[in-house]
Amino acid sequence: MNQSDGHFDEMTGLLYLEGQLDPGRASEVSAHLGSCAACSEIVHALEAEGVWLREALAAEDESIPASVIAAPERGTTHWGWIAAFGLGTGGAYTLWSGFVEPWYAQASQAGFTQGNLMTMLFFTGAFWKGWDAMRSLTEFMAVATLGTVAIWLLRKQWQRFTAIAFVMGALAVALAMPQQVAAADVEHGKPSYTLPAGQEVKTDLIVTADRTRIDGDVDGDLIAFSSSLIVNGHVKGDVIAFGAEVRLNGPVDGNVRVWGQSLNLDSTVGKNVMALTGASEFDEKSTVGGTLMMFSGNTELNGKIAGDILAYVGDLNIGGSLGHDVTVRAGRINIGPNAEIVGQTKYTGDHEPEVSPTAKLGSPIQFTLLKRGPTYSRPRYYWHQVMFWGASFVLGLVILLIAPGFFFDTEQMCKKVAPAIGFGALFLFATPVAALIVCATIVGLSVGIPVILFYGVALYAAKIFVGAWLGEKLLGAGVGIGPALGRLAIGLAILRILHMLPYAGFWFGLLTVMWGLGAMVLALHRRMSPAVAAAA
Amino acid sequence: MDRQKTTGTMSDADLAEVLSQVRAGDTDAWGDLYRQYAPAIFRFCRRLLPAREDAEDATTEIFMKVRQKLGTYDSSRPFTAWLYKVASNHCWDTLRRRRIRQDLETGDLDTLPLEHPDPSQLERLQAEHTSKEVRTGLARLPDRARMALVLRYYADMSYEEIADTLGVRRAFVGVLLLRARHQLRDALSESSDVNALRASAGGAP
Repeated sequence: MNQSDGHFDEMTGLLYLEGQLDPGRASEVSAHLGSCAACSEIVHALEAEGVWLREALAAEDESIPASVIAAPERGTTHWGWIAAFGLGTGGAYTLWSGFVEPWYAQASQAGFTQGNLMTMLFFTGAFWKGWDAMRSLTEFMAVATLGTVAIWLLRKQWQRFTAIAFVMGALAVALAMPQQVAAADVEHGKPSYTLPAGQEVKTDLIVTADRTRIDGDVDGDLIAFSSSLIVNGHVKGDVIAFGAEVRLNGPVDGNVRVWGQSLNLDSTVGKNVMALTGASEFDEKSTVGGTLMMFSGNTELNGKIAGDILAYVGDLNIGGSLGHDVTVRAGRINIGPNAEIVGQTKYTGDHEPEVSPTAKLGSPIQFTLLKRGPTYSRPRYYWHQVMFWGASFVLGLVILLIAPGFFFDTEQMCKKVAPAIGFGALFLFATPVAALIVCATIVGLSVGIPVILFYGVALYAAKIFVGAWLGEKLLGAGVGIGPALGRLAIGLAILRILHMLPYAGFWFGLLTVMWGLGAMVLALHRRMSPAVAAAA
Repeated sequence: MDRQKTTGTMSDADLAEVLSQVRAGDTDAWGDLYRQYAPAIFRFCRRLLPAREDAEDATTEIFMKVRQKLGTYDSSRPFTAWLYKVASNHCWDTLRRRRIRQDLETGDLDTLPLEHPDPSQLERLQAEHTSKEVRTGLARLPDRARMALVLRYYADMSYEEIADTLGVRRAFVGVLLLRARHQLRDALSESSDVNALRASAGGAP
């Protein structure tokens, strides 16, 4: 900056006006302008010239050509759609043939012989309430479909928050409907709830409490969110329980579905049992009229089970009577002296089965030794990798179709490598801790469990966004779903190959999870605070 | 004046929605985006390129580039800044390729001393010339001077963005803008003088 005769030059005046001087220099100029009429006049003239230039340049006194006004022709992305369709079909096939079908076949072998998965879900599940409920569900689905179509048609006229309000409203209605249909009795423990002996609830009973004790009878379903649930009374419907400790001492006429730390069954269950638990114990007096499906830690089966058993468990001790086939994947299996298995027993595990000589088996145990760790020499290993790639790709496809904005935002956020990995590491460890703390509170169980479920989905989905980002780095950016899927396919394939590397693969996987998780957090944060994003 | 005024009134939320849809391949959303910004980009090109047809072609080509490069757009930054960056790069490349006018780069002109401005003369220029005449005067400037003025006072670019587009040091941008203003004043003064001469010649018996 030049200064002559105590006055500032024109350049300094311009830089001052345009905010390009450092604060100290700007203060000096400002002070000088306050006392120097000549310099002040020059600066005012420059300022007026700037305004004049802006107005002259912004003037819209020239017509816009028709060729510019007309919207451009539709772009051609046929190759992208063809590639997307091919990859999508391939991914869906690998997912189906490698994952869903074997599981379904195993379920069928274990006696879950209904026509299809949907049948299993609706007709043998705890949620089946009869044809009236099915009709209500059908009506609701029809209305929801019509609503979705309406939103799609009106999407351009509606603001985002209006759409969100509509969706949230619909969700609220959806959540409210089953309660109206079932007319359930909802109880909140303060902090515990007890249904005294001799009392009977004439409808479904939904309980949220720290500790729940059912000594009376329930003429309907019992749905409990409780850290401890003890049922001594008679439940004429199903028992659906989310809790740390579940103990069933009274008879249940319907199904039992348990998600919790432990399940202890010392009574009769009329239908099927499904348990996702840390440990399970079926006492000698226990009886299950239908099938048993378990995803559990250590398990003791000392009672009677009439139907088939499908179990993925830690150590399994069988001391009771099993009326049908048993398909088990376990660390160890021990079949005691009083055990009886009428059907076939298929066991996959780390150790040879231990069978008492006095145990009664319908047929010899079919044992398959489980090999841990990657086996690079087996083609099956590579097939599994293809299958995992396909599963990830299909999930990516679903996210891209359902929430393209979120998909692309998260992909973009992967560019912020350090913040994404940092936030990812934080949320990777903090989320389960927070969810467990929430679960420990009385009302928190219904919040904590969905949080853990979403957390699991997010961990799995993390690599999708990193893969999409990686694909963009390699293939370049392109607009539309087709190119995005091509990028996703390539990126996921590379990540899968990196994950296959011995030793380093695990760390690559962990880094990918943190990176993608952090990008999701950043993208969600941006979406929730658009003002901040706009100002950035 | 912010960029919003030069490119319409689409809100941030609407723009984010439209951009997401465009990225997902929605051609209707692309049409909306084009209709929203094409007029402003045409005017921008019109102020930089010598002919109306050039500006038309450039607008089409810029939007083709935008569509191709949309994946590289960092959505945490303002879209209009990115759009004008693409447009200015395209126009600058076009001008350099054609060499319509040979600019003196950072040579003699940039080191010549500037005449100290007369505030009353500046006021007179502003009062005498219409917007159209200013743009006509602008068209007579060297490419880089014209680019600097348009990028700063139409596209509202920062000094950093201008430096990046024109390939000069940031500290040089102020010099470039001030010299461009001087050149514009000279061009407008000349036209005033010519008009005065014509008037006096026409008025003489």
